[in-house]
Order: sequence, then structure tokens, then C-alpha cells
Amino acid sequence: MEKWSKKHLLGIKDLSRREIDIILELSASFKEISKREVKKVPALRGKTIVNIFFENSTRTRMSFELAAKRLSADVVNFQSSASSLNKGETIVDTIKTLEAYHPDIMVIRISSPAALYLLQKYTKASIVNCGDGKNEHPTQALLDMFTVKEKLGTLENLNVLIVGDVLHSRVARSNIFGFQKYGAKITVCGPTTMIPYDFENMGVDITYDFDTAIKKADVIIMLRIQNERLKSSFFPTIREYVDKFSLTEERYKLRKKNALILHPGPVNWDVEISSALKEKVHPLILEQAENGLAVRMGVLYLVGTEKRSL
Amino acid sequence: MKFIIKNANIVNFDSITKADILIENTKIKRIAQKIEGKEKTINADGKFIFPGIIDLHAHLRIPGDGQAEDLLSGSKAAAKGGITTLFCMPNTTPSVDNEGLVKWIIEESEKINIAKIIPIAAITKDREGKTLTEYNALKNAGCLAVSDDGCSVADSLIFRRALEYAKMTGLLVISHCEDPSLSAGGAMREGFISSKYGISAIASISESIIVYRDVAIAQYLDVPIHIAHISTKNSLEIIRKAKKEGASVTAETCPHYFSFTTEDIEKHKFDSNFKVNPPLGDMEDIKEIKKALKDGTIDCIATDHAPHSYASKEQPFETAPFGFIGFETLFSSSYTALVKGNILTLEQLSEKLSYNPAKITGLKGYGEIKEGNFADLIIVDLEKKWSPSQENIVSKSKNTPFLGKELQGVVEYTINNGNIVFENEDIR
Repeated sequence: MEKWSKKHLLGIKDLSRREIDIILELSASFKEISKREVKKVPALRGKTIVNIFFENSTRTRMSFELAAKRLSADVVNFQSSASSLNKGETIVDTIKTLEAYHPDIMVIRISSPAALYLLQKYTKASIVNCGDGKNEHPTQALLDMFTVKEKLGTLENLNVLIVGDVLHSRVARSNIFGFQKYGAKITVCGPTTMIPYDFENMGVDITYDFDTAIKKADVIIMLRIQNERLKSSFFPTIREYVDKFSLTEERYKLRKKNALILHPGPVNWDVEISSALKEKVHPLILEQAENGLAVRMGVLYLVGTEKRSL
Repeated sequence: MKFIIKNANIVNFDSITKADILIENTKIKRIAQKIEGKEKTINADGKFIFPGIIDLHAHLRIPGDGQAEDLLSGSKAAAKGGITTLFCMPNTTPSVDNEGLVKWIIEESEKINIAKIIPIAAITKDREGKTLTEYNALKNAGCLAVSDDGCSVADSLIFRRALEYAKMTGLLVISHCEDPSLSAGGAMREGFISSKYGISAIASISESIIVYRDVAIAQYLDVPIHIAHISTKNSLEIIRKAKKEGASVTAETCPHYFSFTTEDIEKHKFDSNFKVNPPLGDMEDIKEIKKALKDGTIDCIATDHAPHSYASKEQPFETAPFGFIGFETLFSSSYTALVKGNILTLEQLSEKLSYNPAKITGLKGYGEIKEGNFADLIIVDLEKKWSPSQENIVSKSKNTPFLGKELQGVVEYTINNGNIVFENEDIR
């Protein structure tokens, strides 16, 4: 394998296709570790990883924590609610304080998009973005791509359909940047109010017609709908959303035979996906979580051993 | 004090003439070929002399936030930038919405005596858009204009009353145009880059919608109105049309709106020094703003000097406060982009920086270098280049998108009321 030279993983938009290949190949070999009786390798022994969550997260944090532990790194978690930041300590101060412990990797989730460009100035550690506002969630896209490659055998020239709240979705953005590097034709589908302004310039097709779009998709990524969006008039009612954009049994029948249904989780059953489809689609969504662990091990290993020949 | 400036290339709004200038006490006593005398002489050979710059839009953060700027540091920064008169906005804590605060700012700045500071009072009490402030008393205290800068007066009827009442008192109403329901939570102009990075955004129409409303009310009442910091091309069409119809509407823009775009925000990795309200636009806006400066749709260039302490700007782009400093870069950034960029002549630059701001606010005896006017003038080296840095900025705050950029045109002397208040790198 080639040498990895990126210090940070800030976003998929900063990665080359070759770099994504390296991550996915390495992650495939790490996936097997979690199935062993002794689920641990000494790859990052002696390294310190700080998981810094300026925004609440349980699942992503657990996934990163487990990934670090399975690589034998020492892990500590910093969880800060927005309110404690209001008490005085700024985000930059927090990073400076944690830097005093000389961590090797900072895994950061923050609600401000593109904030990691600022924070990287205050630490010598590698930064792994695990969600910065609406900007990017690179490990989610990597695990989605990992899953697709594993199931379809290729990432080349796929039709990828992304459905739902694209406007607020870092998962959508990272997946667009990622799949596009492999020649994907990407279609985003959601309420007009939830498609970002001037989004055609991203090189994606925009449609409001899920029924037609689903027929040609190889990969269908269903995005989460947050309940609070209802209050801001992005759409009038859940009923109306479901009518247009939910993956119902009828729509499911329209899909290509091998089409994959992905969801970053947790699913709002009967909103994004009909609960009648649970048995059909849930197993793959749960496998995504499993793959997420492998991909995060891959990413932590690569940035944690950066400059060391593989 | 009495002194002579020799061999001056005097740049007024309507002419460039080579002459000597005799300054006596606070006034320009004589302008003529070859003035001889024993007085102190400044040789301005090869340099250009402009009227002192009049900045219609500044924030000095006083009262309330002396960490970011104060009257002394603001005056020094203004003097370094060639600004001799500045109008400071009332979005302070508390708001400058009463005669007591107006008088206090004027008195304190007169003690400092480096720049003429004229407070702009709030249109409404606490800038809440509900009750008018006492325009008559404010006028008597020394105000020339009112503004609720930072926000628009949301209620159209209150804004109508403000314009009507201001007319009687002779105060100019300056309007910050922004529809808060369209801009709320936004950190940059809505467009491809905001969408690509998921940055909460401000639609360009949030400005132009209110420009339309405010100009329409002023035109309906036939009263003057001044539109602050124009940033979008949509606003310009509205102003151009109203002017053509004879409305007494005037408008300003700021150097950043013809110097930077959203692409610079991306290029600088979402550095909060590029965050300003109204937000930076796109190349099309720059093109139209330059055109509007050339054809007179935009009357003047103001700074919107908005100091923030280092800690408050050391934040992610979305959460950092809006605004950056502008005094020290006003002349050179305008000269570089507009005169070197073949948009304006030197005379037109003089008009936008001095003559028009004096005319708009009714400042008599300023904005033009002529006998009998106040001796507010600046000597500039138009060949010299400089680059703003943390070290050479005089303002308490160092937040500016021009950091590290090369600018042409350096203010060598600033003379205010016949006093040399800035000389080369040194302020008295």
C-alpha cells in the first residue's frame, strides 16, 4: 500500500480518490478484528486520542471510542453542551486546554461548519472530523462507500440518489464529494425548501420526483428528518413529507433489484422509511454501523501513524 | 499655528491644481502659486493633497466596549487613515439615543482633538424600532444624522414617522437595510460556497427588499434618505431609478464590497476576518458596485469600521461577530481598487471620500480644499505601497481582511483643523 501523508481528516472534499481507496482497503482488513475473540490489536498502543464533542452524540462517539480501543489507543472523552461554552470557555480555549495533554489525535464534533480549519491552528494533534455542522461528516461517507463497495463490488459510475433534508445534511455533502470522485451520477431529492441554494453547481441533479428517481438508482441514501424542522415551515406536515419523500412499500417495489438502501441512523420509522420495510432494509443499515467501526479504525490508524510507512 | 505646504497637487472633486497652501490657525488662508514666508514649510513635491476624509460610517464601541476600540485609539487609527471627520454609529451599550451621550462623545473627542467625531444618534429609543428619539434635542447637541445601524426599523409606519419628523429637524436618516427574517442566523451571502460548506446564509434580497421599502417611503414623503453600506447589485437598480426620478436619496458602499467576494472567504478557510454584515457578495456585485461608483449612483465610500477584540473574532466563522476595521485601509484600498483599477479618476475619489460626505450631511467648510475652508487635509504618496499587519495597525483591533494584502497609496500627513495629527509613522 502507498504511503499515507494526510495529517488530518477534515472533509471528503480534501481527499483524493487514491486516499479514499487507501482508507477503504485498510478498513476492510480491520473489519475482521471485531469478529475475533480478542478484539484488539496494538496498532496505536501508546497513542492518546481525545474525543471532543461540542455537540451531543452517542452513536458516533461510541463508534470512535471503540475504534480507538480496539487499536489499543488511550481514549478520553470531552463532552460539552452548548450551555457550558456560554459560561465563558471558548471553543479555542477548550482545544488549547486539551492540547496541554499532548494528544495524538483529536476527534471533533462541532456545530459550526468549517470550524476545524480554525481549530487545527491550536493543536499539534491530527484532527478527525466527526461532523462539523452542515459541512461534512467524512467517516459517515466513508462507511457508506465502504458498504457500497462491499455489497456491489465497485464504486465506479454508480447512480446515487440522496433523499430528504439535504440542506441541513453533512452526510449528504460528504457523500456527494465522495461518490463523485468515482464518477457517480448523483441525484438529490427532497422538498424544494430543503435543497440548498444554487446546488446545481455541485454537479448534482435535483428532482422532487422520488418515484421516477428511485427506478434508476444503484444506491439510495435516506437522510434523517429532524422533528424541529417542522417548526420552521420547511414542510407543512409529516403526512405531506411521507407522501412525497418517504420510502414506502410501493416505492420500494420501483427500485432496481440490487439497489442498496442506506441510512445514517437512527431511522425515524414511518417518516423516512416505512416500518413495513423494516425487515428488508434494517439489516443493511445495521451493517453500516458495523462498517463504521472498521472505517473509523482505518482512519484513526492512518492519521495516527501518519508519515510512518505502512 | 501657521504653515505652508509647498508644491502641492491639490485634488478636489472638480480639479487637480498645483499650488502652495498657507494654513493659519484652523483655516486654509491662501492657495496660490509660490507662497513665501518664514513659517514652517512642508514640501509636498510629488505628493498629492486631498481634503481630509469624511467617514460617514464608523463604530467606535464607546460607550460599552473599550476592549475593542475607544475614542483615543479610534481617533489615532482614523488620523493614520487620513480621516479627519468621522460619524460614529449608535449601536453601543447603552445606545447613543439621547443628547447627554451625544454631548459626552463630542466633548471627550474634542479633548483628544485628533479627529472630529460626530455621533449619529439612534432613530428609535434603544434602537428597538418602537419610539422615536428626541431629534430636536439631538440636533441641538450636535448630531447631523440618525440611524438604527445594525438593524432596520422593522415597522414601516415608525420608519415613515422618523423620516417625516427628521425632515423638520434637518437630521439625515441613514438606513441600514436588512430584512431580519431573511437574514437571521446567516453568516455569509447565500450562494454556491455557502451551500457547499453548509454555512447558514443571508439572501442578497434581504438588503434590497428594505432598500426598496425605505427609498419608496422617502420618495413618497419627498424627504432625504441615505442608504448605508450597499453590498448587492439589486439595491443599486432601486437607487439608480429613484435618483433618476429626482429623489434625494444618497448611498454609500465600503471598500470590502469592491475588494472581496465569497470566494475569498473560502480561499481564507473561513477566517472570521472576512465575516461582515451585509456579507461579501460575488464578482457580479463588485462589477455593479464599481459601475455605480463611476456613474454616481453611489455617492460615497465609508468604512463601516467595526472593531472587535481578538478573542471575540477568534471563533468559528458562523459564531464570530460581524465586522472588521477599516480606517487605516480606506484610502489605500479605494485608491488601489478604483483609481489603479481605472474605475475612478483622482477627482472622483476625492468626491467620494470627502466632498460628497460633507454635502450629504450638510457639513459646511469641509470636503474641499479652498480658501476659507477648515484646514482638514491629507498628503499622500500615491506611489508608495504598504501591507497591513498585526504590527502596523494602530486600531486596538487588528481584524481586517486586508491583512497581508499589498495596497498602494500611503497617507503621509493628516492635518485636522490646522493641526498635524498624523505624520509618517508617528502620531503626536
